[in-house]
Amino acid sequence: MNTVLMGNRPAQAQSAPAIAIRNLDFWYGENHALRGISLDFPTRQVTGMIGPSGCGKSTLLRILNRMYDLYPGQRAMGEVLFDGRNILSPGIDVNVLRSRIGMVFQKPTPFPMSIYDNIAFGVRLHERLSRAEMDQRVENVLRRVALWGEVKDRLNASAAALSGGQQQRLCIARTIATRPEIILLDEPTSALDPISTARIEELLDELKQEFSIAIVTHNLQQAARCADRVAFFYMGELVEVDTADKMFTAPHEKRTQDYITGRFG
Amino acid sequence: MTKDVMMPQESMHTVQSYEQELEQLRSLINKMGGMVERQVAQAITAVVEHDEVAALDAPEMDPHVDELERQTEALVIRLLALRAPMAGDLREVVAALKMSGDLERIGDCAASIARRAMRNELLSCPISLTGLHSMGRLVQENLRRTIDAMDQRDPELARIVWQSDTAVDELYVSLFRELVTYMMEDPRNIGPCTHLLFIAKNLERIGDHATNISERVYYSVTGSILPIIRPRGGTFD
Repeated sequence: MNTVLMGNRPAQAQSAPAIAIRNLDFWYGENHALRGISLDFPTRQVTGMIGPSGCGKSTLLRILNRMYDLYPGQRAMGEVLFDGRNILSPGIDVNVLRSRIGMVFQKPTPFPMSIYDNIAFGVRLHERLSRAEMDQRVENVLRRVALWGEVKDRLNASAAALSGGQQQRLCIARTIATRPEIILLDEPTSALDPISTARIEELLDELKQEFSIAIVTHNLQQAARCADRVAFFYMGELVEVDTADKMFTAPHEKRTQDYITGRFG
Repeated sequence: MTKDVMMPQESMHTVQSYEQELEQLRSLINKMGGMVERQVAQAITAVVEHDEVAALDAPEMDPHVDELERQTEALVIRLLALRAPMAGDLREVVAALKMSGDLERIGDCAASIARRAMRNELLSCPISLTGLHSMGRLVQENLRRTIDAMDQRDPELARIVWQSDTAVDELYVSLFRELVTYMMEDPRNIGPCTHLLFIAKNLERIGDHATNISERVYYSVTGSILPIIRPRGGTFD
């Protein structure tokens, strides 16, 4: 029986997923933060992750680029397959991994340097570009995040002088400047006003032509607007994953229904 | 597949005023359902029993039904704008908007039936009203069960009523044939038979609106859509 009202995106992506998580368990010391997670992140789609605070969604995002390495007492079991390799294995070069899987945080985190250098800094770590090539790269990514017009006359000014929304777009520009395959976003608009938020959302729509995107958000409307697929986490478990259409009109699980309609105590 | 997708909504909203507004919406729709049900009952009584009071009463209720429809619409818009309902809530709110439209149309059909009931052509009509009587009873019964399904949020009952509209369609087609035959037999029958045809047509429309409501109830509660093509009874060839 047809249960999807609008659109008919297949629940499973056609091509191989950008990242495939298989039976992932994760502990912070004694705290079993993620339990038996299996989830695909389809290529060039936006996967939204929702759930109440402490449900494990941000932990999962941090596992995808080994950010969790920084936490003491952590332990991961299972597989996170990216480009044919398990990124949890010790042999992975974390620096290379993080250049291929970029991350944008909740609060804009520009480096204390010029707008230009905020972008050039990361690129220099991985590539040797001539001055002209670097100029080209900086302009190109600033144009892609629709910031070029606003900053082209003050590229050498401090990034700290930009507004919050501009700073966040700069951070996204910085992330895509190293040409990653995947972009992870951890509540990228929660500190922004509605106009800046709309700009970022519009940007995501465009970026997914080229990148696979995973976004953690507390804003359900945002997940509904931006994500192709949405995964709902609760107490370390993946409760349900489906197209955004299905999740927000007729979710299968009662817990999903309760959470997204605001019925959780 | 109905059981596992059914989501009884016993849990309450964290935001209580939201819960209260949804409650208010349910009560508006239920009130409208009750009013329309009575309107249809009186329209049918007016026709088959030549009951003058009932004939006047049914159209008089129309403005009240219209007012309830307006209130429902305003509340739905408010809920959509201020609460941004999701999932089961979203389905319920949209279903309420659509159902209020169907209920209002049912009220119109009932009023239209009642207005014809006291026409002289019908009062002195030699034609038996048995066919119309049974059609009226069936439509009334289906409407009652539809409104029960709506009040109780019962998708199974909604599905059963949805299917039983077939019998109404069949009765309508046979009544249509019967009335056309009378008109061909004697031109003096044309006047009363035309009124009876319109009454039958209105009853048939009430049945259709009731099935629309059943479809909304089913979707609102289960999240699944009943097949687009409903089993239909009777054809005119």
